[in-house]
Amino acid sequence: MSEPKYGYAGKILIVDLTAQKTETIDTDPYIEWVGGHGMASKLFWDYCEDKTVESTDPKNVIVCATTPFSGAIVPAASARCEFTGIGPFSVPEWYNRSSMGGRLAGMMKEAGYDAVVIMGKAEAPVWINVVNDRVEFNDATDLWGLDTFETQERIWDEVTHGTPEGSWYELSGSRDGGRTAQRPSVMCIGPAGENLARVSCVVHDAGHVTGQSGFGAVFGSKNLKAMSFIGSKSIPIADPAALVRLRMEVQEKFGYNIDEGKVPGAPGSPGAASTVLDTSPTVARAEGCRGCFKNCRNLFPGGVGNELTCSAGTYFTGSGKIDDTLEVYSLLSKYGLNGYEVDMPVYLNNLYKMGVMGKGKEIDTDLPFEKFNTVEFMEDLLHRIAYREEIGDDLAEGIARAAQKWGRWDEDTSSGLLARPNWGYCEHNEPRAEVEWSYGSIFSERDINEHGVHNAVYNTSIMAVLTGAEPPVAAEDMAKQLADQSGLDDPECFNWSEEGIYSDARVREIHWNRAYGRFWLQSLGMCDWVWPNFVSRKHTLETGSTYGATPEYEVKFFKAVTGRDLSYEESIQLGHKFWVLDRAIWALEGRHREQEVFTNYVYDVKTTKPFPLVVHEDGKWSYSLCQGRTLDRDKFEDFKSRFYVHEGFEESTGRPTRGCLETLGLGFAADALEAAGKLGA
Amino acid sequence: MTETNRSAAGAQEKGGLSRRQFIAGIGGLGIGVVLGGGITALLLPDDVYALEASQGYLLVDTKKCAGCETCVISCSLAHLGRINTSLSRIQVMKNALGSFPADDVQQNQCRQCPYPSCVEACPVGAMHADPETGVRLVDEGKCIGCERCVEACPFTPSRVQWNFEDKHAQKCDLCQNTPYWDEEGGAFGKQLCVEICPMKAITFTNELPVQTDEGYTANLRNNHYLEIGLPSDDEARISPKERGYSAGGTAAQAASNENKG
Repeated sequence: MSEPKYGYAGKILIVDLTAQKTETIDTDPYIEWVGGHGMASKLFWDYCEDKTVESTDPKNVIVCATTPFSGAIVPAASARCEFTGIGPFSVPEWYNRSSMGGRLAGMMKEAGYDAVVIMGKAEAPVWINVVNDRVEFNDATDLWGLDTFETQERIWDEVTHGTPEGSWYELSGSRDGGRTAQRPSVMCIGPAGENLARVSCVVHDAGHVTGQSGFGAVFGSKNLKAMSFIGSKSIPIADPAALVRLRMEVQEKFGYNIDEGKVPGAPGSPGAASTVLDTSPTVARAEGCRGCFKNCRNLFPGGVGNELTCSAGTYFTGSGKIDDTLEVYSLLSKYGLNGYEVDMPVYLNNLYKMGVMGKGKEIDTDLPFEKFNTVEFMEDLLHRIAYREEIGDDLAEGIARAAQKWGRWDEDTSSGLLARPNWGYCEHNEPRAEVEWSYGSIFSERDINEHGVHNAVYNTSIMAVLTGAEPPVAAEDMAKQLADQSGLDDPECFNWSEEGIYSDARVREIHWNRAYGRFWLQSLGMCDWVWPNFVSRKHTLETGSTYGATPEYEVKFFKAVTGRDLSYEESIQLGHKFWVLDRAIWALEGRHREQEVFTNYVYDVKTTKPFPLVVHEDGKWSYSLCQGRTLDRDKFEDFKSRFYVHEGFEESTGRPTRGCLETLGLGFAADALEAAGKLGA
Repeated sequence: MTETNRSAAGAQEKGGLSRRQFIAGIGGLGIGVVLGGGITALLLPDDVYALEASQGYLLVDTKKCAGCETCVISCSLAHLGRINTSLSRIQVMKNALGSFPADDVQQNQCRQCPYPSCVEACPVGAMHADPETGVRLVDEGKCIGCERCVEACPFTPSRVQWNFEDKHAQKCDLCQNTPYWDEEGGAFGKQLCVEICPMKAITFTNELPVQTDEGYTANLRNNHYLEIGLPSDDEARISPKERGYSAGGTAAQAASNENKG
């Protein structure tokens, strides 16, 4: 008997919706792709025959991939399930990604599967029930039209045969066939996905969604309402005692002590809603994804607003009442709508105030703008989008495509009225200054949504800088610390001055940034609210050291779970490989250098809001508020050229070269690109 | 009337309560200390099976638990060396669509019952009280797989489980036998769920705790809990704002606290 593949369930489920058949393959050949994004991209490469199809084409393939850490107790790293496929949300469509936490990834593995590949299109609505080795296609006609909460509750009852909450139930009807007291983990779409809204998500539990992807519409296009997973299989762990020991170590060194109050400035503290909203007028429990040590979400009375998180939680704050904010958040989840169109309602109201939008106006709609700061307005707006009614038909395409249709895109992204810097995505952090975020996004496929560096530099210092207090970590120390922990060894890599953002050191930082993200965040499912773990505030208070858990602990956890030796340097090389495979897919899709540019406001409109980052100017390190900044077109283009060359991409197109691909073991991609006439020279 | 119902009625006539009702009632009626140090303090219904009390109990703050299942996963890791939520001896069930605190998260730990019906039900003596600690244990080698212990547990879900992979009954041993954990466990050692819970929502006591409808519960939330915007009162019904924490947990407050410190 061969040694178990530690950290893996061992099988991958291939679902053919067209034929209503499934196949199970061994995970073994894909273990070199580790898991999560790496594994998903290779599966997509292998199973999506035509990577140039539109997102809602039946030939598009969605891959949901767990990681070796899924279901374990690796802190803030045991829950995320990576989703990839051609996504409808970005402008233009790209092979895209998203991920969700909660209970899904762990239960997929306990059901026996490291990943699921979803192909084809069902003739009529179906939902798929996975119970250990048994996979069933079920008629979803009765579920079609239900919101995501109703859908999940119906499936829970169906799968558990109405077993009272919390009771054990047998999964196979035999004593040794496994039993569980858990609810099935269900991912499903709501009306937005059914109606192919590009702003739709796949939803799990109350607030775990494939945001910023539009994958809900891909499920909808495939007539796939839901997939449910329940299982009772064990996941082998190479060194369980070490895993427990490491978890305790990280938790004690870098976690919070709940009984000693909030750790100052620490993101992802219990009940993160309270870090972006004042939830004190209500009561709640902190709630966490599986195996987490942060528990950054909340569960509220009545279930309203459950699992609210971060930016999507601020989708509606207009009434000033926390209950209204919670209600709108739940509404987004129920419809299966992307909460990161967070700037859209405000943009609409601005158009209304400008006299451009409204009844009988250039953009004609009877949306009741006079009730803008009310839940009633939001209910009306979201209903229209989810069901593509009236103006909602435009908005279901996403505000970027809607603005294009209305003829406003160029003007409003030039003025910054619509702050959408790249690929139609909402501005997340200041693209004219925090360039690891904006460059990372434009060289990739979406808003990267990786908070590690941002948390270290911006979140750690913002309050102190704005109040004139001494920042917890001096600027020079911050740059040095980031250089040490990232392995880049050069503080200039973390210099956000007007020169620093175009430097060769920054080229290396972007290389590292994309690789770390692709490997540890997206292929091991480590939550970007905690990893890379640069600045430890708790640690600071206790030991004087501000150094967090990166890079020491990532590889230690990898070894404890999988038993495989992996150096941090090797992990960055693998992350780079996974990212370059994505670049190859984007090249096949027609990606070209000229597309990798920001919208005009990034170059032409100066920043006004204070945005503290570390700068090295006139021989001194300091925190700058980065006001009055724009990105320089020529300098960015020059940076881009140097970055392409550094990565092994053709300078004039940004496409990977054969040499680059073969060095990384991606010769198969070089062949495909060459055959398609898309290989970089 | 069914046979079962007739039996139950007979038991009620005889002792006022059936044995099962009594045992379940120990968990449900708020009866406090009934057995301690071997002293019998109540007149027991006929046939109630009493053993030396366990010298250790787990208590859970049901309002503080975050439903992260870290305890669940860790339990199977420490005991079995693998991950399987179905084979964990502490069970946390989350309904993310549920209402706090009524039905969103359930925590179900073994209560080390004073009257352990699981032990009584075992026909071969595999279920037993540890002679040194009183902890209710399974001698896996003796277990014949009849599952009477699983059925006898008066709680839902049964705190005794059928280990369908290793083919024997299992239950919480307060970490007395955790081959995959470096620490010394048991009633006089540490318990991994207590140690690893990031919310510090589980604690341990050597004294038989007072029970409520929710089991052995405790309020483990102090005033610092209010700082992060979460309620600290027993019923978790008083908002932090009502307690004077109007900016609970905001970045501004965090910075303010830090500057003070």
